[in-house]
Amino acid sequence: MDIEVLNQPDSSIARVILAQNEEVVAEAGCMVAMSDFLQANTTLRKGKGGGILGGLKRMVAGESLFLSTFRSPQAGGEIFLAPKLLGDLIICEASAAGLVVQASSYLACAAGVVVDVGFQGFKSLFTGESIFWLEISGVGPVLLSSFGAIFEVDVDGEYVVDTGHIVAFERALTFEIGKPLGATWLSTFLGKEGLVCKFKGRGKLWCQTHHPAAFGRRVGSRLPPR
Amino acid sequence: MSPTAPYQYDISHGPAYAQLKFDLKANQTVLVEAGGMAAMDPCVEMKSKVRGGLMKGVKRMLGGESLFLSEFTAKGQPGQLFVSPGVPGDIQHYAIPEGRSLFVQSSGFVAASPTVEIDSKFQGFKGFFSGESLFLLHILGPGDLWFSSYGAIFPVDVDGHYVVDSSFIVAFEDTLDYDIQILGGLKTGLLGGEGFVCRFSGKGKIWIQSRGVFQLVRFVNPFRPIRD
Repeated sequence: MDIEVLNQPDSSIARVILAQNEEVVAEAGCMVAMSDFLQANTTLRKGKGGGILGGLKRMVAGESLFLSTFRSPQAGGEIFLAPKLLGDLIICEASAAGLVVQASSYLACAAGVVVDVGFQGFKSLFTGESIFWLEISGVGPVLLSSFGAIFEVDVDGEYVVDTGHIVAFERALTFEIGKPLGATWLSTFLGKEGLVCKFKGRGKLWCQTHHPAAFGRRVGSRLPPR
Repeated sequence: MSPTAPYQYDISHGPAYAQLKFDLKANQTVLVEAGGMAAMDPCVEMKSKVRGGLMKGVKRMLGGESLFLSEFTAKGQPGQLFVSPGVPGDIQHYAIPEGRSLFVQSSGFVAASPTVEIDSKFQGFKGFFSGESLFLLHILGPGDLWFSSYGAIFPVDVDGHYVVDSSFIVAFEDTLDYDIQILGGLKTGLLGGEGFVCRFSGKGKIWIQSRGVFQLVRFVNPFRPIRD
């Protein structure tokens, strides 16, 4: 699999070239264009946490349960994949050590990469803001997207990130979700401050400059009710 | 000024925030999508114009997009004109030869020379029936055309067949034939959210955008207030 990221950093799009019988797995709905001989299919990834019910929970959380797979019966199959929002794309390598990815930042991966949707981070009862993470392991490249630009942080010790700005982090890091230091649950409830994730340990963390839900609320709140 | 005199233009700030600048010669005219003018010299005169008569303009508006054009002319002396598309993205120039035409997504029209003809008999996309419809303009040469995208534009040279999600099509040459399909059948298409794709065949160029406005709308929609 040969991946090239074009038009960085604002309008990034991935061009993936597949070998014979190679498969790329992608977030449902992110296919832009492709060779006509690619075979498309949709898979339903069930979580550890339990079949249909776990699935429903994730649907409520606004996450798609469906992943599309594109298989090339011959060498040189081409496919373009793009995220919904303006921003950048990076290529990470999956490994046994594991990666945790914010669900909305996952774009695509090789077939040898294991995407586990069973990992539910945290759901705030107050703000309704849900944190839904994917556990990534196995072997092969993973394409991650960011809303805005992406920046890398090497954590050694402790580090605090607003949950809406997390793209991914290495599993070597432990974390705890809560309100920011000094904030009260009331201000968190009123949406004045988001939830933060406090990381501990040593490992890589990828963050995005913009918060998708903050943008959604800013624009959506000015639209007529649905 | 002869209507076929070459335009002096410049596309800057692409691919994310492309803007089109014309250095019009004295008495040179260019057609611009209504509302597309961002800035200009005072000698440039604007005239609103509906290509092919008012009713046809209205019909195009019902097609999801008001293609009302404005005519900009540098009166008596050279003048500068800046044109900005409605969404952030890129701009592409294409010279349509005599006897040829280009299909352009209706919201992608930015500017054209007055020699082009917009085919008013063309009824958008054949076989299209979802809310996610794509309306195409059929623009006949000869003349210059500038079109825009949401996100970057990349060209694909098709020789044989190629599949493009309908919401990412910006423009394509008339040497290509197309038909609408649901990718991978109903299950993948509807459950997988891949939606409608356009399957092109023949030999020619397609311009594709790296983001879709419909995808943005679908992202923002759940954030709307809920009616009591």
